[in-house]
Amino acid sequence: MSYLSISNVSKIFGGVVAVEDFNLEVEKGEFISFLGPSGCGKTTTLRMIAGFELPTSGEVVLDSENITYKSPNERNVGMVFQSYALFPNMTVAQNIGFGLQVRKTPADEIQTTVKEMLGLIHLEKHAEKYPYQLSGGQQQRVALARALAINPRVLLLDEPLSALDAKIRVELRQEIRRIQQKMGITTIYVTHDQEEALSLSNRIVVMSQGRMEQVGTPSEIYNHPTTEFVASFVGQLNLLPVSEVDLKNGVCKLNGQLVRFDHSEPRQISDKPRLAIRPEEFQFGQAEGRNLIQGHVEVVMFLGAVVRLRVRIGEVLVSVDLFNERNMTLPRVGDEAVVNFPPHACWIM
Amino acid sequence: MVEAMKRSVFWSWFWMFIGTLYFILPLTSTFLFSLRAKKDVLSFLAYERIFSDINFWRTFTFSLIVGFFTILVSILLVVPTAYWIRLRLPKLRGMIEFLTMLPFVIPAIVLVFGLIRVFSGAPFFLTNTYAGTNVLLVAAYVVLALPYMFRSVDAGLGAIDVRSLTEAAQSLGASWPTILFKVIFPNLRVAILGGAFLTLATVIGEFTIATFLVGIKAFGPYMSLIGQNKTYEASSLTIISFLLTWSFMGLIQLFNRGKSDSALAGAH
Amino acid sequence: MSSNPISNSVNTKRDAPQARPALSAWRDWLGVIPFFLFVFLFIALPSFRLLIGSFQDSDGQFTLKNFADLMDPSILGAYWVTIRISLTTALGGGLLGFLMAYAVTVGGLPRWVRSALLTFSGVASNFAGVPLAFAFITTLGRIGMVTVFLKLLGIDLYDKGFSLYSFWGLSLTYMYFQFPLMVLTITPALDGLRREWREAAENLGATSFQYWTRVALPILTPAILGTMILLFGNAFGAYATALSLTGGFINLITILIGSQIKGDVLHNVGLGYALALGMVVVMGVMMTIYYFLRRRSERWLKQ
Repeated sequence: MSYLSISNVSKIFGGVVAVEDFNLEVEKGEFISFLGPSGCGKTTTLRMIAGFELPTSGEVVLDSENITYKSPNERNVGMVFQSYALFPNMTVAQNIGFGLQVRKTPADEIQTTVKEMLGLIHLEKHAEKYPYQLSGGQQQRVALARALAINPRVLLLDEPLSALDAKIRVELRQEIRRIQQKMGITTIYVTHDQEEALSLSNRIVVMSQGRMEQVGTPSEIYNHPTTEFVASFVGQLNLLPVSEVDLKNGVCKLNGQLVRFDHSEPRQISDKPRLAIRPEEFQFGQAEGRNLIQGHVEVVMFLGAVVRLRVRIGEVLVSVDLFNERNMTLPRVGDEAVVNFPPHACWIM
Repeated sequence: MVEAMKRSVFWSWFWMFIGTLYFILPLTSTFLFSLRAKKDVLSFLAYERIFSDINFWRTFTFSLIVGFFTILVSILLVVPTAYWIRLRLPKLRGMIEFLTMLPFVIPAIVLVFGLIRVFSGAPFFLTNTYAGTNVLLVAAYVVLALPYMFRSVDAGLGAIDVRSLTEAAQSLGASWPTILFKVIFPNLRVAILGGAFLTLATVIGEFTIATFLVGIKAFGPYMSLIGQNKTYEASSLTIISFLLTWSFMGLIQLFNRGKSDSALAGAH
Repeated sequence: MSSNPISNSVNTKRDAPQARPALSAWRDWLGVIPFFLFVFLFIALPSFRLLIGSFQDSDGQFTLKNFADLMDPSILGAYWVTIRISLTTALGGGLLGFLMAYAVTVGGLPRWVRSALLTFSGVASNFAGVPLAFAFITTLGRIGMVTVFLKLLGIDLYDKGFSLYSFWGLSLTYMYFQFPLMVLTITPALDGLRREWREAAENLGATSFQYWTRVALPILTPAILGTMILLFGNAFGAYATALSLTGGFINLITILIGSQIKGDVLHNVGLGYALALGMVVVMGVMMTIYYFLRRRSERWLKQ
């Protein structure tokens, strides 16, 4: 049996289903992200693991112990909140030591742990400061140290970076990953930011409207999305209406032009079949053995590393991302454009 | 856990019950007492007597007028100052805040003592004329009202972007009086009204300052006089005064919907 | 109070577009002159008069005799009673007010109870003076409703040593405006306790009791103490209620000053000044503590 096991968990708030039949097995030391838009039930699921919400049905088993109805202060799981939730009346050191203090740990032991934690988050010099004297990023590090100081069985992070500036966010993201790997702690990370989920996790759980959409490694989620929601929520995706779909041979027609697609995975075709392809799969110009489509450039957006085009092919607009090069000549609006893409990069949904 | 919740709700109701008794008992007693002016029957006789007492109306009108002038002066004094501080002299803010808190340090009895000592002699001689005494009374009440008037207006100014509003009005060609009366005041309506009714609630029945400056002319000293001589009428006056306070507070709530600015009491 | 983003942006110094540098300096100050003039005339002048007068004898010569007179046992006693009453009602009113505010915020009572309580408190905290005294006389006076009712049950309050016109009677009466004021000022502070603090504490293994003693109460302490100081001042300066209730029988400082003004008793203006100055000093100390407490809790709670 796995280390943390969540089985058939549902949560209903006054008639509204917040989480429906959630099932997940987490191995020891794994880093799992719950990814989804706000209101998808990811935070509720996390709070059920922490014990702040009780499941309407189902059970949570941690380290062979059923903790479904255990009160939060007896679970020994660490939690980091979006709003830091540091105690404003305590110094950094007191905040970190709080969990040990309420466990009546001897003072010298607390001191050692606090020191160790301060070193881990590189805030040794700030031990005696109060939370209001720290920046948001520093406060969140302290919150992380505070959660880790009790040597929790699982670390839970609830959108820990979303209150921070973009630059700090990336920095702290790497910190979290480094500390998690160093301590080998089982971690569940809730986020609505796909970049965070993709870059941090061993596995991602994509959720929507209280249901699990897909569970998989970052590359599985990105490259082989099983549902339309996952495909369009994680990364950019073109969904182009096609006709005359031949699943057996993997061919269809896009605005009259013949396109071959990946038909290795069995798929159902809806009554309005669409061809799915990510913008970065396109290249400009002719190429042997690849799909070719013709159209007109309608929008050019220079984004730095990437140049994003919208190319009109008959009735449909296709997003095309090109990697920038220093001596690249940008296409202009109205230019005739030929783009190519490999057949294995697109599929029918 | 559920047990603990139930226990906590029990104690919550318990303390609410104690507090409610505290609120209700004196009012009920007073009300029942006020109905017993006629022997052996309950009647509104005490109220009829009060409402037919010429002095009730005279003193009440007097205090109402004093309250009105107090509010007027307070607004003209506090609003432009608070506005100007936010716009041009932010470094003075701490000092002004400190000054408006001074009336908390100086009890009403001390204030009136000092005022009489200063203004009864040279060069003011304010207490020698009725008009002068009334001016002094209004001034004393403005001092009492200063803390909550300033807090209320300052909070109101904090809720609007004073600088942008002013600059927008200026760029459209408005003069200073136009800006103040057509732009700033209307946006502070709620804050000003809140402060004004609170002022009125304290000024109407105020006793300490009124008794030493104008004596029986004001409503507070009148209530005191009735209290010494006529028990039943005094109870009915108490009920009337409570209803008055209630209606002023009700009006504040009406204008102040959703905001929770604490109503600090003034002179007791 | 002043920690909103707008006031901060106003505080950053920028030049208004039409400002002419040469003129603006003194014109800026012109705008606050009426206010300072008012404060000078009606707050500063009377205060200075008190300060100077308390160091003068009846001929205007410098003296310390007025302060020596303060050492009279009856005057010291008056200060002591006034301070004791203020402390008692601040603590008692503060405690009851806190418990009620707790009941309607975290105590799990329905929403309507909260709005009813806040409305009641707004009224009761402003209900004082003559009418309040009278309400208590009809309740707990010799023929008051509660007194009579208890007598029917066989409990004679006045036989047992209670009197409305005594220390405890006056304290009970003051509490009527004290605890609502506590409710009004402490309810927002209790609302300010963030759910995450409780959850974080529980998550780290704290019991509910540990959360209250180590997190919530320490966070609330400055606000609680600060409000109790306001309550103290409220009772300390009270004159009308005490006078109407006891007719001057109880020896309070405000009552002493009142008789000095009326000239009934001592005809010693210098002593009156010194009495008043003493009150201002006590209140000044209290307000200074209040100021620091408020600053501390604002700093803690700012985001």
